[in-house]
Formats: sequence, C-alpha cells, structure tokens
Amino acid sequence: MAFPHRPDAPELPDFSMLKRLARDQLIYLLEQLPGKKDLFIEADLMSPLDRIANVSILKQHEVDKLYKVENKPALSSNEQLCFLVRPRIKNMRYIASLVNADKLAGRTRKYKVIFSPQKFYACEMVLEEEGIYGDVSCDEWAFSLLPLDVDLLSMELPEFFRDYFLEGDQRWINTVAQALHLLSTLYGPFPNCYGIGRCAKMAYELWRNLEEEEDGETKGRRPEIGHIFLLDRDVDFVTALCSQVVYEGLVDDTFRIKCGSVDFGPEVTSSDKSLKVLLNAEDKVFNEIRNEHFSNVFGFLSQKARNLQAQYDRRRGMDIKQMKNFVSQELKGLKQEHRLLNIGACESIMKKKTKQDFQELIKTEHALLEGFNIRESTSYIEEHIDRQVSPIESLRLMCLLSITENGLIPKDYRSLKTQYLQSYGPEHLLTFSNLRRAGLLTEQAPGDTLTAVESKVSKLVTDKAAGKITDAFSSLAKRSNFRAISKKLNLIPRVDGEYDLKVPRDMAYVFGGAYVPLSCRIIEQVLERRSWQGLDEVVRLLNCSDFAFTDMTKEDKASSESLRLILVVFLGGCTFSEISALRFLGREKGYRFIFLTTAVTNSARLMEAMSEVKA
Amino acid sequence: MDCYTANWNPLGDSAFYRKYELYSMDWDLKEELRDCLVAAAPYGGPIGLQSAPSCWTVLCQDRVAHILLAVGPDLYLLDHAACSAVTPPGLAPGVSSFLQMAVSFTYRHLALFTDTGYIWMGTASLKEKLCEFNCNIRAPPKQMVWCSRPRSKERAVVVAWERRLMVVGDAPESIQFVLDEDSYLVPELDGVRIFSRSTHEFLHEVPAASEEIFKIASMAPGALLLEAQKEYEKESQKADEYLREIQELGQLTQAVQQCIEAAGHEHQPDMQKSLLRAASFGKCFLDRFPPDSFVHMCQDLRVLNAVRDYHIGIPLTYSQYKQLTIQVLLDRLVLRRLYPLAIQICEYLRLPEVQGVSRILAHWACYKVQQKDVSDEDVARAINQKLGDTPGVSYSDIAARAYGCGRTELAIKLLEYEPRSGEQVPLLLKMKRSKLALSKAIESGDTDLVFTVLLHLKNELNRGDFFMTLRNQPMALSLYRQFCKHQELETLKDLYNQDDNHQELGSFHIRASYAAEERIEGRVAALQTAADAFYKAKNEFAAKATEDQMRLLRLQRRLEDELGGQFLDLSLHDTVTTLILGGHNKRAEQLARDFRIPDKRLWWLKLTALADLEDWEELEKFSKSKKSPIGYLPFVEICMKQHNKYEAKKYASRVGPEQKVKALLLVGDVAQAADVAIEHRNEAELSLVLSHCTGATDGATADKIQRARAQAQKK
Repeated sequence: MAFPHRPDAPELPDFSMLKRLARDQLIYLLEQLPGKKDLFIEADLMSPLDRIANVSILKQHEVDKLYKVENKPALSSNEQLCFLVRPRIKNMRYIASLVNADKLAGRTRKYKVIFSPQKFYACEMVLEEEGIYGDVSCDEWAFSLLPLDVDLLSMELPEFFRDYFLEGDQRWINTVAQALHLLSTLYGPFPNCYGIGRCAKMAYELWRNLEEEEDGETKGRRPEIGHIFLLDRDVDFVTALCSQVVYEGLVDDTFRIKCGSVDFGPEVTSSDKSLKVLLNAEDKVFNEIRNEHFSNVFGFLSQKARNLQAQYDRRRGMDIKQMKNFVSQELKGLKQEHRLLNIGACESIMKKKTKQDFQELIKTEHALLEGFNIRESTSYIEEHIDRQVSPIESLRLMCLLSITENGLIPKDYRSLKTQYLQSYGPEHLLTFSNLRRAGLLTEQAPGDTLTAVESKVSKLVTDKAAGKITDAFSSLAKRSNFRAISKKLNLIPRVDGEYDLKVPRDMAYVFGGAYVPLSCRIIEQVLERRSWQGLDEVVRLLNCSDFAFTDMTKEDKASSESLRLILVVFLGGCTFSEISALRFLGREKGYRFIFLTTAVTNSARLMEAMSEVKA
Repeated sequence: MDCYTANWNPLGDSAFYRKYELYSMDWDLKEELRDCLVAAAPYGGPIGLQSAPSCWTVLCQDRVAHILLAVGPDLYLLDHAACSAVTPPGLAPGVSSFLQMAVSFTYRHLALFTDTGYIWMGTASLKEKLCEFNCNIRAPPKQMVWCSRPRSKERAVVVAWERRLMVVGDAPESIQFVLDEDSYLVPELDGVRIFSRSTHEFLHEVPAASEEIFKIASMAPGALLLEAQKEYEKESQKADEYLREIQELGQLTQAVQQCIEAAGHEHQPDMQKSLLRAASFGKCFLDRFPPDSFVHMCQDLRVLNAVRDYHIGIPLTYSQYKQLTIQVLLDRLVLRRLYPLAIQICEYLRLPEVQGVSRILAHWACYKVQQKDVSDEDVARAINQKLGDTPGVSYSDIAARAYGCGRTELAIKLLEYEPRSGEQVPLLLKMKRSKLALSKAIESGDTDLVFTVLLHLKNELNRGDFFMTLRNQPMALSLYRQFCKHQELETLKDLYNQDDNHQELGSFHIRASYAAEERIEGRVAALQTAADAFYKAKNEFAAKATEDQMRLLRLQRRLEDELGGQFLDLSLHDTVTTLILGGHNKRAEQLARDFRIPDKRLWWLKLTALADLEDWEELEKFSKSKKSPIGYLPFVEICMKQHNKYEAKKYASRVGPEQKVKALLLVGDVAQAADVAIEHRNEAELSLVLSHCTGATDGATADKIQRARAQAQKK
C-alpha cells in the first residue's frame, strides 16, 4: 500500500513562504488603519484567511470584532470599519448601504476596503456611482496563492470557472498571470513551458509580458522548477465529470473538502458533535490512503487498527513505566484517533457507495466512457431524473453522455430536458442554456451545418487577433470528439481479467481501471515528447489547434533535479482524482508534480456553477 | 460761485473732468521726489517717502531670503516681517553712501563698496569682517563680483569700471587689468568669466595642484615628475635623477595624483596632455596605483574639450562640470539639439542605455515630430529606424508629443511601434480614437483597461453606436454584460435587443419571471414575453416549455385557491406529488394527462407518494390498474424501505424473471431465491444468492447452490 516516493524523487520547493508573504502583507494593510477596528470578512475568504492568519494574529493588530459580510445591517459600533472582500459588485453595494446609512444618521466613521486578490475598476466605479468613493479608502491584498498542501497551491477562485468558461469574462486571467509571475520571482524562471487552451495561452502571454517589463530580476537565477504546464478545464470536461473513487476524491465528493479541511458530521465522528479536520500530507495515515482506490482503504485501515491494538496489549503486559514510553503511547493514541476518524469516514462512504445504486451509477459511467449500451445508459439517466434522485447528479450524467457522444441526438436532447424540467422546475431552462453555451450539454447537429460552423470557426482561428478574443459562443460549435481522442490516446485500457486496484498499472486506477484521465494523459504525452510534436491530430480534435504551445529556453542552468519538477496549472479547477493520477505518474517516472489550480473542483461544483437557482 | 465750473474740462460731449486740491502741503525734503521711493495706500491711506536706496542685494541665510538695502550711510536688512538697521563690523568711518554690494557664489560672503573708494569684505551674516581695502577710486564701479574657488581660503573681489578691472583681497596690493572694451562679469563657482564684444576670458585663483607644479622653482613632487617626463622624452638621464628624488621622498603617488589633478584645471589640450603623460609615466613606477582617477580624468577631459569647442561653446571648467554632473550637461546639449554629440558622449562614457542613448534618442524623436515639413510616414519611419527596439524608449511619450503638436496621424503611427499595448490606450483615448483604444486595451489583456475605455465610449458615443462597437468586440461585450447583470439590468436587455439575441432575451425574461416579478399576472406576462422571444430565436423547445410553465403557474394558482396549501413554484412533478399526498388523486391524474406526463414517471411518482402515505391498499389497487411500465421490483424496494415485508412479498411474486432473484433476496427469502437462480442456471445470480447466505439457517441453501454449480460444471 501507499507507494513511497522513489529515492531519487526531487525535493519540493518550500511553499510556506507564500503564506508568510500573504500574512505580512495583510498585517501591513491592517496597520495602515491604526487603532481599533472591526473587520468584515466575506464568507468565501474566511477559510483561506484562517489558513494564513488566525484570530489571535488579527487581534494583535487591533482587530476588535469580526463580522461576516452578509446582507444585513451591521451592528458594529466601532469607529473604524475594515472590509476584506473579493472584488464583486454586490459587495460594493453592501458597503455602500452601510456607509450611506451612517451618513443618514449623521455618523462619521473610517472605512477601508481591502480587495483580495486585486481590485477591479468596475468595483471602484460602483463605489463612485453610490457616492461613497471619497469616503472609503481602497487597498489590495495580493493574496492569490494558498498552499493547501506540500504540492498543491490553490488560488481559491471557484468563480473563475463560471466567469471564464460560461460568461467569457477574462478579468481573472490577469490574476493568474500575476500569480505565475510571483512564483517565478520566488522560485526561479521556468525553463520549459507548455500549454493548451485559449485561456492558458492568454495567461501565458500576459505573464510573459509581466516578466519582460520587469526583466533582470529573475535573470541569472537557477530555476527550481523545470517545467510548467498550463491547461484549460474545457480541454477535458470528462474527467472532471466522473464520480471519484480514490479516497481523497471520494471524501471531497461525499463531504466536500473546503480549503484543505473537511467537516465530519456526527455519522463519522460517532459522537454528537462535528469535527473539522485538516487533510494534508502532515496527517500520516491520510497521506497513506489519500491516493488509494477506496476499495483498498477500508481493509488497510482495519488492519492498521488491529495492529495498533495488538501493540497496545503487548505493552500492558510488559509493564514498563518509563516516561518516554508514556509519551510515545500518548502520541500513538492521538494518531489512532485520526485513524478511527478515517475509518468512520470510510464506513460512512462505504455505506453510501457500496449500495446497489452506486455500483450501477459507476457501471453506467463506465459504459458512457467506453461508448457501449448508449440506449441503456440513456434510459438509466431518464429513470434517474424521473425518480428525482439528485438534480446535480442527473445533470452530470446528461453532460457526460453529451460530451462522450459528441452531443445528444435531438430526440434524447428534448426528452431528457423535458423530464428534467418536470422534475426540478422551469428555471432550469436557463441551466440548459448555460450548459449549451459552455459546450457541456449540446445537441448533435446535422452534418452540413456543422461543417459550416466549423469552417467559420477555423477562419476565426486563423485570424491572428483571435488568439486574444474570446467569442463566448464559439464553444457552441465545438465538438468534443471524445471518442476519437480516447482512441488516439488509448484512454480506455484493455484489460484481460480483473484490474488489480492494489497494484495499479496505469493512471486508470483512479477510475477503477476503466479510464485514464484525459488531462493527465495529455500532460504525460507532452512531457515525454518535450513538445506537442506528433500530437497534432489530438490537438485538432481538442479544438485547440491555435492554443497549444511550447516554449523552451536553454537548459544549461537547470539542474537535473529541477527538470524533474513539474508545475501543472489548471485553469478552471482540477479534481483530486487528477492530482492522484499525476502523483502516480510521478512515482512511475521519477517526476514530482506541483499543482496550481484556480480552485479544487469536482463534478458537483462544476454543475452547480452552471445551474440557475431561484434566489 | 460764478465760475465754479471753471476747472471742469469736457471730454467728448457728455463728460467732464475736474481736479482739485486736497491739501496744500510742502514736503520738507532735501531731495527731489524723483530721488525717492514713494509708497501710497489706496482708500485715502497714508503716503510714505523714502529716499531711493543706492544699492541692494539678496542675502540668503538659514533658507530665508533677506534683502540688504543701502540708503545713504545706513544699511537695512529686510525680511518678510521686519526691517532692521545693521552695521558691518569694522567698517571704516566716513562713509556717506554705499555704491555697490556683492554676494559670493555660495552666499556666504558679502562685499561693500563705499563712496570713499573703500571695500569692506566680510561674512554675509554681517557678523565678521574678513578684510578691507582702499582703492581710492571714488567713481562708482560698473560691477563688483566675488572671485573664489571651492575649498580655498583666499577671498578676492573683482571690481570693474569702464576701462579698468581690479582684483582685491586680503593684501595691501591689488591686481589691475586694463579693459579694452565694454565688459561684463559673470561670477562662477570657481572664478569669474569676463566677456566683451570680442573676447571671452576666465579669471580665477590658480588651483593648488597647478600652483605646486608650475610655480617657478617648485620642488613639489608633481613638478619634479613633470620635469622627469620631459627629460625622459629628451632621452636624458636627468629623468632618472628626478624620479629617484621623488621616490626617495616616497612621494611618487602624490606626484601622479598632482599631475592628474592639475591636468583637469588646464584649459589647453597640449598642457593637459603633457601633465597626463607625466602622470602616466610616473604610474609605471608604482605598483598598484588604482587606475580609476587617471582613466576618469582622461574621459572627463575629452568630454570637456568637446563641449568647450567654439562650435559648441560651453566653456565649462572641471570643477563646474563635476558640480553640474554629466546628466545635466547632456540635458543642455539636448536642449541645444546637439543630439549627435550627446549620443557620442553617452557611448564614449558607456552610460546605461536607459539614462543615456535611449533618452537622447527619445528627445530627438520628440523634436523630430515637430518638423512639420516632413510627411508623417517619413517621420515615423525615421524615428523607428533610429530607435528600433532600444530599451527604455517610450513610443507612447513620443506619440504624445506628436499629438501635442497637432499631428494625430503621426501619433497613431508612432503608437504602432509601442510594444506594450496598455501604454497606447490613454493617449488614444485623449486623441478620441476610442475604438482603436478599445482594440488595444483588449490586446493588452488588462480587463480594467478595457473597462476604462468602455466607459469612455459609453459617454462619447450614442447608445446605438456604443452597442454596435461592443458587438464587434466579444471580449469587451462579455465584460460589459457581466457588469450590467449586476448593476444595470435594463441596459442588458437593450444590449440583447440590439443584437437580436432572442435566445438571451428569452432567458432574461425567464429570470425576471421569478426574480423580479411578484404578482402572478406579472410573472405570466414575463413568461409570455420570454416565449415570444424563444419563438423568434427558433427555439421551439424553450418556447413550449415556457408556455407549459405559464399554464402550470395559472393552474397552481387555481389549486391554491380551491384546495389551499402551497402549490406555486413547485415543479410539475412536485405538484402532482403534492396532490396525491393530499388525497386528490383525480386532480393528479387530470394534471398528468394535461401535461402529458409519461407513464413511467407517473408510476414512479405515484409509487413513491403512496408509499410515503403508507396507503398500502391504494398502492395495491394502483399496481393492478394495469401492467407496470417500471416493473414490480421498485414496488418491492419501496415497501422494504418502509419496512413492510408483508406488502413487499406481495409484489415480489409479480417481479419479472430477470429481477426475481433480486426481489426475493430483498424480502429475505433466500431459499426461494436460490431455487429461481438454479432454475435460471445463471452463474452471476448464484453468486449473488450465495453472498446472501449467512449464518446457520442458510446452510442448507448454500449447499444446494454448490451442488447445482457442480452439476452445471459436469454437464
């Protein structure tokens, strides 16, 4: 179990510096407003903030009371109010309402707005329109990279996905470029860059511009990380839409990991209170099982528990009363608690997931991935909708069907949508419109019109300026070509007999041996070739002919160690399954991967981002 | 009274002017009024008279400016608040008037020239006298200036009359020169420049290094070294003697330094050369003499000689040059448009491009754009050829200059060369090329910049044109739409209207139907608008679905009125379920027919609802109403979920053969399940049953299965 790293695996850079930087900057900003102040924090920022600076640090810098930013009048009686928010218009209106209420009451206070990770002109404009621009002072907290784990950096920007891939809003791309710039300033230049996707290319170009404007700083530094790979989420929706079956992914699907920690409810802790647990490499037991297929995990954990109990019993017999032993036992006890917690989580998952339903769900998913029994799968989805099993799950299955089949045939497209509207309400007409725009749920178009659109798109692509223009609707014409890609890249492994999940052979193990994640396969192939050479057909099928790039610089300064470190940037989010798969690939090939994502995501989060809900 | 109007003077036809006496008065003055300063306040205020000062000057002490004023024999010090009389210490008696005063270049010293031909020299604070001199010339001098040198203890004043120049200092004698022409004195940091119609001269105290070397019979190390070098050139052995003499005293380093320093103070290149040659010669006999001072002096002198050339005419001395710095000198050259020389100097001194060559080229370009007789194309090309991609050159600055000269087209051409598109935007906006600015902003990838341009455009263009511009820029359009979604919903609608984007318009009204409208009529109306839009968008599916929703809404309203309870905003499925749960089966069926709910869904729905009600009787009736389209396994499952094994068993028997085993296992009838599985001879089913055989009770069944398996294998 728990494959150790190869002895020659390169060391990871120390990313805790990013936390220190963020903390110091925040403290500096708080000190800019001397004296006691109340801090209003946006809900999304609370967990990330908690990882950077806890309440006592905030108190040290004269933060008096903490409030959540929500649409309620503020009860604060402090003379100084500080707002820590994402640059969103609704926040501006909230702040404006507070300030204007004070004005009406003839009250003057000091207001400071700290935008994280940056402020947008639109926000300032709203402040101006609301007539309070002169009353507040604005600052930026450039906190864009949160190290969630030793090899995982998150920008904690879940809205990136909807903003860019649905609304065509490019404002976060600059933020990504800034984050990359920060990384290259701290950890040296990246000698080899690869990328695929329109957004990846834009982010890359913006980042390059930043480096050029400030050149000289990184020149002459030895690179610590040899490769960087940028990838758009829309290059591979399929992987993100699959049910996750590796432990960490499963915990995320079941309990929702939030900012690196999870709230285990009473059914897991087997007591009456919930417990918040940090899940990362520091938790030894979790670290051993996180990348495992869940069918292995329960056995492993019970074995561990039994061993531990046996050890305990032996100790009692020996009757050694040394302090040292006592301490070590005490420590063991603590660890055991964690183990039991994981067992609890595991049991709860097993209860949910080994039920007939879950197995059938997985079976259907595999059928969709492999492309057989489409009719049967379609009826399964229909029944799923009819029985109102779960709105998000149904939607996910529909999207999976659409992408793997290059769109739904018109009859199914209509009937599934009708069924869905009947089950879950008419507002989902908008959800479907969103999904169509993002290319997640489409109708198979008759042949002739498709080629017409295709030629139009290819014309757009050959237009040089198109590299910088996003046509929000261009995705309409995109065909997913999943089947052809799958064949080209051999995503469905041929298995004779049972796939041994205990001794995985390839990355497919993260999906029970049925499917190699497309995103990870692309990364593997490009790293092997050190370029996109020979992948032209795949790139064309991915509709990325103009957005696949390689940029190599001379490698004389890069050590062989650094050349085995690879930073993978997921624009629009990555899943724990992908992380596990690449960790596996790293072990096989002697690489180590570092992950930078706009947010950790999973199928439910993607679907929720696309869903319209009644307010 | 007769002639009262006698002093009225007409001006034109209608106006008269007169002048009358206010007071008859006489000033008791010795001087005439023209010798006085008159100050009078308005509104009948007082009048003040003061005889005109004979001379005055500005003093600067502790960062405050004072004025020193001489009136007759008295001196007054004025500042912004007060006026006080002062007396210079040690002033010779008998002064009745001051004719000239001079402040030194550093503002530290002051000189006074009196009508007795006496010169007082002291500190500017008037607290200390340095020296005095009586020249016995009573004629007022034309000019008097200080002639001093930084770090020198000598103080001297140069006084000029029409044809005479006198240098006086702390010495009983003075130096006198004859002036052939009208001359003018310019005090400098380290001396005095004297220019006239035909000459331009420099008068200064000879610097220490020069003095040491060139003083007659000087035995200073520098003098000896110079001598040694001269002898060496003559190939005389005396060179060795001189050199030895210096070395014996251990003064060779000092000698070299002296020669280098003295070279700096010489104006003649020949003399500079021989001094530098001497220094270079001396250096050969020194280990480890740092070369910097020599190299820098050579460079500096080369630059100085270049600018001193009469074509350029900047007669800087070495000290002035060092004080001025090379940057300022370059600026002066640039201001005189001496670009080639400036560039040569930069290249010669190897100044970094950003401070040096690029900056000068940028200045040149700014000048170039002002040449109105050259066509835009030629200017742009010439500039680009010279500047290329030189780092540190901002094409947008040059373009701004071109625009400032009214050459908009040229400015746009120049902006094309600007590599950072973000830099182009502000100027383009200023030039009212907003659409071009928009494309450039989009190219820069900076959404804030795009937004800035958008707001510009919004104010500049009428709404229609603004929308048209957006239409061609999808990235800007998305950005603006996002903004409108949160801040200006009506504009969003207009945008969709303008684009004939009926699909989005439909979605817009759908959202309005539940987000903005409260009353049922309003909601239905919004939906109707949406449906119309969908029809226009040829999206019949959405249109039909919307119309269904309108029907449903009305119906839900009626249900609420008739039956009470909550129906509004439920989905169709939930509406039917609610009806069944409320016991309104007829209504439910009617609704299902009206909305053509497929059979399968209706069966699932009824099954779930009836089981929830635990209305087993009704469920059984329902199950027998016709053949179930979803089979009977779901019946078994749902009964078991409600822990009703009795009912479950009823349905288990009706389950179709493929699912029979599953059903039997669900109700816990392992034995019968085994029988069915054996009958089916289905290996998968057999294993399934076997996995359910637990404990002793099922022992017999397990054996039975194993036997059946063995039998099957035999066959």
